[in-house]
Amino acid sequence: MSDGAARSDPALEAWEVFRQEKEGDPMRHGGSVMAPDAELAIHYAREMYGRRQESVRLWVVRRADILDLEDPDLLQPPLDRSFKKPGGYVMRDKLAAAREAAGQAKPKARAK
Amino acid sequence: MTASRTPAAPPILGLDGLLLTMADDEFVIGFSDSEWTGIAPLLEEDVAMSSLSQDELGHATALYGLLAELTGTDADAIAYDREPAEYRHARLLDHGRGDWAMTIARRYLYETADATRLEALADGTWAPLAELVGKLQREERYHAMHIGSWFERLAGAVGEPRDRLLDALATLGPDAGTVFTPLSDEPALIEAGVLARPMAELEHEWRTRTTAMFARFDLSNLPPTRDPERGRTDHGADFAWLHGEFTKVRRGDPGATW
Amino acid sequence: MTDPLALDPVLSPAERSSPGAPARRHDEAYEAWFARFEAHVMNGGKVEAVDAMPDEYRTAVLRFVEMHANSELMGVLPEREWLMRAPTLRRKLALTAKVQDEVGHAQLLYRIAEDLGKPREAMFDDLLAGKTKFHNVFHYPTVGWADVGMIAWLVDAAAIVAQQALRDSSYAPYARTMRKICWEESVHIMHGRDVVVTMVTGTPAQRAAIQDALDRWWGPLMQMHGPRSPREKDMDLRWRIKAKTSEELRQEFLTIYVPRIRELGLLIPDPELRHDEAADEWRYTEPDWNELRTVVTNHGPMSEARLEFRRQAREATAWVRDTILGVPAAA
Repeated sequence: MSDGAARSDPALEAWEVFRQEKEGDPMRHGGSVMAPDAELAIHYAREMYGRRQESVRLWVVRRADILDLEDPDLLQPPLDRSFKKPGGYVMRDKLAAAREAAGQAKPKARAK
Repeated sequence: MTASRTPAAPPILGLDGLLLTMADDEFVIGFSDSEWTGIAPLLEEDVAMSSLSQDELGHATALYGLLAELTGTDADAIAYDREPAEYRHARLLDHGRGDWAMTIARRYLYETADATRLEALADGTWAPLAELVGKLQREERYHAMHIGSWFERLAGAVGEPRDRLLDALATLGPDAGTVFTPLSDEPALIEAGVLARPMAELEHEWRTRTTAMFARFDLSNLPPTRDPERGRTDHGADFAWLHGEFTKVRRGDPGATW
Repeated sequence: MTDPLALDPVLSPAERSSPGAPARRHDEAYEAWFARFEAHVMNGGKVEAVDAMPDEYRTAVLRFVEMHANSELMGVLPEREWLMRAPTLRRKLALTAKVQDEVGHAQLLYRIAEDLGKPREAMFDDLLAGKTKFHNVFHYPTVGWADVGMIAWLVDAAAIVAQQALRDSSYAPYARTMRKICWEESVHIMHGRDVVVTMVTGTPAQRAAIQDALDRWWGPLMQMHGPRSPREKDMDLRWRIKAKTSEELRQEFLTIYVPRIRELGLLIPDPELRHDEAADEWRYTEPDWNELRTVVTNHGPMSEARLEFRRQAREATAWVRDTILGVPAAA
């Protein structure tokens, strides 16, 4: 692969490496390598995160291209949002009242 | 390490010689390039070059293993217990690793030659070797990518990197074709279908390819091989030193298990 | 993972690791933030590279990681010599892979330090100028194959005891890297132990070589984790950059490895070494802290030779970095 423009003025920079341990697993961040361009970044990612056959897939991305979001106002806004989560639906007492009114016992747990 | 099955076919004349040349090539270049461990130009590159060296040593181990089965001996004994003059690696690999440009140049010349050799062995009639060659080719793809990338970077640069590469190629040029030194009993190997074409023909193929590659980067063609008949037998002082190093511990306590 | 701070008691002020950020007078808001930060890490909270952190914490982590990185890099050299001389194909492959891992660990650790703001080239400059240190064990010569086995087994073992205790460091990038390193190191120790056990059951010359190696390496091993220092004053402990004291690490090493050494019929060259059952503690001859000081200030038997080797190797490849790799020169 030739990339004349990048080659004529190379600059070492950080590339982040994401790896997949086995088929079906999510991509997880492994670490980073320094490289002058994408080609060597891929080779170095393979060396640092795949030389032991410990990964079935790697993603390599220039750190500068990664968008980082950690703003708490966006990710952890203050007002109640429990209606969006399972924990916001506690029905134990209502179920007990409904069963009593119907004269029903609580069903046995299903065999797993 | 070594295959556990015994070869199905009866011994083929010249097979042991072929295996020895291939194993010695991989052993010597693997050993020699492992000298970069800890001192390569970049930490990441250090790890990469070490992987390449380990691959070569692994290939050597497998090849010595096949030879050991054929001859009823031991892979380590073949690898370690010979005098320097008995090694049959290509003279190209007698050159020390030199600077980074020398290492890349030597690797480039060797990897491309080895790829051509492997192509001519991939469909051979002796299954254990043909199978192993298939595996080697898959591992060598990464070598070709990585070394090819470095060769192009140096060749395509201006100034010092390219100058160093030119110096290295000038030094290595007369020995570059020694990977294709004709084998003893080569006709028997071809007759038996182990080797698809004579080494001379493979060398020609390889030179055609490298000429095309060199032309892209305005590099002069490689000269003909110096002393082609002795391409695998005259090993000089650099190899004698390497041999002294890698046999040092074994010679210190012969017969010991390590 | 020898804490550079742990060496301070045996060093003169001039020899100690460079001090952290100078104490500044801060306003109330800063003091409050600092207190919250401290509470966060002291309670098990984590810090990422992009997080705001006090200069003192950043400096402490950087110093710790930098010495660790330096040690992985310098640690390659004693074994590299014997790479060329490995006596079988399998040992050659195993040792090459081990040394490769060490270079890989250096990469991982220098990356962490780089992301804290110090360029790699600056760290190499400081290492080679003697301004930063590397672990004592890597300042000694390796005289034979037995040393290779001994280092891979016991030196790596002493290191892994420390490294395991760092897997929950408050500095999260370091913690994650330590988990990866510990996983990779476990194979090294097995390789080392295999070499040692093979030689111990081998020829008389091999047995003698192993005992001789143990005789020479025991002192440095006992010094490796550093002298005892008071818990309360240890900022690296306070901020959970590390989890155990030097003495705790040494005790752990002895507990695991003394039985494994003795079961091979090897003699540990310390007649005072014994386990005090009542106190549940190992007693031993006080390590030679003068030797530790001499060595880590780069006056060890191989310190200068190895640094010089590195300088020359670095110079020989400078042209590659300056051109093809585009490495920025250190500021």
